[in-house]
Amino acid sequence: MSKSSLKLLCTALSKMKVAYVTTRSCYYQPKFRPPYWYSPKERVMSEDMLTQENRDFLEEVRQDKLNLQTAVESPLAKVETEEVAQWTPTTRRAGLIARKIGNYPLWSKDGKKFQTTLLQVVDNHVIKYIPPEEFTPMKTTKLNWREKRRLGCLLVGSETIDPSIVTKEYCGLFDSVGMLPKRHLRRFMISPHAKMPTGTPLFATHFRVGDYVDVRAKTMDRGFQGVMKRWGFKGMPASHGVTKTHRRPGNIGAGGEKARVWPGTKMPGHMGNSWRTLRGVKILRINTKHNILWMLGVGIPGETGAMCYLFDTVLPLRKLKTPPPFPTQPFVDDIPLEYYDESIHMFDTPTITFEES
Amino acid sequence: MKQHALSISKSLLLNTSAKCLSSIRCLSTEEAVERRNHLFVLEKKRQHEKVGRIEKIEVNYKGVPKDCTLIMNKDISTPYDCARHFSEWHTEMSALALLDGTLHWDMHRPLTESCTLEFQSFNIAEPQQVNKAFWRTCSLLLGACASVAFKSTVPVALHSFPGPDIRSGSFIYDVDLPTLPDWRPTSQELHTLSAEYIRICRQKLPVERLDVSEELALEMFVDNPHKTTQIPSIAKANGKVTLYKVDKHVDISKGPLIGNTGQVGKVAVTAVHKLTGSNDSEVKQLYRFQGVALPTGVILNHFAFSLLIERAKKLNSARSPINPFADTREPAHESIAARA
Repeated sequence: MSKSSLKLLCTALSKMKVAYVTTRSCYYQPKFRPPYWYSPKERVMSEDMLTQENRDFLEEVRQDKLNLQTAVESPLAKVETEEVAQWTPTTRRAGLIARKIGNYPLWSKDGKKFQTTLLQVVDNHVIKYIPPEEFTPMKTTKLNWREKRRLGCLLVGSETIDPSIVTKEYCGLFDSVGMLPKRHLRRFMISPHAKMPTGTPLFATHFRVGDYVDVRAKTMDRGFQGVMKRWGFKGMPASHGVTKTHRRPGNIGAGGEKARVWPGTKMPGHMGNSWRTLRGVKILRINTKHNILWMLGVGIPGETGAMCYLFDTVLPLRKLKTPPPFPTQPFVDDIPLEYYDESIHMFDTPTITFEES
Repeated sequence: MKQHALSISKSLLLNTSAKCLSSIRCLSTEEAVERRNHLFVLEKKRQHEKVGRIEKIEVNYKGVPKDCTLIMNKDISTPYDCARHFSEWHTEMSALALLDGTLHWDMHRPLTESCTLEFQSFNIAEPQQVNKAFWRTCSLLLGACASVAFKSTVPVALHSFPGPDIRSGSFIYDVDLPTLPDWRPTSQELHTLSAEYIRICRQKLPVERLDVSEELALEMFVDNPHKTTQIPSIAKANGKVTLYKVDKHVDISKGPLIGNTGQVGKVAVTAVHKLTGSNDSEVKQLYRFQGVALPTGVILNHFAFSLLIERAKKLNSARSPINPFADTREPAHESIAARA
């Protein structure tokens, strides 16, 4: 009986209008000192005492190692399709690491102009797979919710770099699996049967045209911003006798019982440089030579040249319904240079005409 | 234990009879090392006192900061003492001394007559001799490292090391481990050996030199059968035996070595290969310890050094002392197929 009365009380309280709404947003204080387990990635560069011919030899060795890494045929080509696990709608497969390279317009078949963002997938390779039993990440923050199913961790790296630029510890991560070091290393949580062997290259054709992806990236750092840009306040009129108050927040609280500024009150402060995930971005076009994805919209977080991470979308109406290339698209010699979405107008087709009405 | 060694050594110096010698063979490795060290120190002191009346020699120094003449003591002053007259940088930088433009001299070897002195570091235009001295020192230190790294239950009998060949990619020391017929070191064990080596180098010990007679050399190395067979031939070729001491380790080497172990920078013990002797040799097998090193001050990134280490892991094709006519190079896969 007490339970039902408690429930009644809760519902009644929730329907009450509360004067002050505090948005307890999750604000993570930026930490400037690295944690105790951190080891630097970039090496302190010093002039190496090498003759020119030794430098050339080192360059040759690097080139050989790179060729060895890229020449290895994607092991998936050798595996028969029966052995590869089947994709199900609840399977989580790996994502990609891409770099935002610019904006371009595209036109639909109706003549409507879309702005698109180009994301380039540079030299992605699978570094390692850690099965769920062995995967124990360090808990940095208190989790709000926990993933119920057991997912494995796939380490993917992008952009191979010269080993002499980075520290020996960072190189050791890759040497243990026999790969050259990568500039970016990212983990993707995947279902255990979506795993891939070390050295598998990942291309832009991992996604298909017309698929929707979630893009996670760090937003542009806008620095210390006022309340109008940061929170979208209206500000005050520019003239008509307004004195010294055009972009200020105005009132920040009210008197009465709780006569104080509530925690979480929107005020000027640092804006940007935070991780945001944009859900359900559509892929309009794929270039297979340079591994470029053309995404609809310009809202991809980050500046041009910043890295972003792509996942299959979790939005229920835009999720994958047909099996995608699983676990990834293997390297195929003869594929078309460009894939276009059916809504996009291709420039080699006849121009769009409108009937005069 | 030290007093015991002292009393034995004293009696030895006075009378060398076969009876005494047979009792020495039962000494443990540590006691033998102590004894050798003690004999070296005594002999050095004796040679120092033998000089008697100190005579002066003129040493014409050529180099930075300016050319000058030093008045040093004959048979007592070393090039290291001359360097101390200039600055600490001179003592740390110079690896080898060049007398009269031709003769390469150890830093801690007493000068015998008036001469022209130059200090040679690793940065000079023609560093071939300095590099060879460096390689020789690294081999000697590898022997020192091998003799202390093993447990006390494992006897270690150092055999020898060949002349330095830098182009081969590694410096070597052939060691006899009679109680380990088939030992293949794991990467962890190689790391431990490297750590031991680095520990010796970071102590910045001077490398002392001494010329001794054949009998005293035989006395000192009585516990090592390999050295005892080598000493007579060395003495016959050169008249005396040249010994080098680094901390407690004493070894025989012909040529000049560098002045201080602190001048050895990045170093790694890379591999241990087994050498099998020919059917008629006394020694059935030896272990060839291989390593690679760079002098202090040479800056090289870890990727390039890892290439050097990979090269040094391959079996060094220097002649095996127990099987001089066999091909010590690793057989190529094609030749096996051709032979089959």
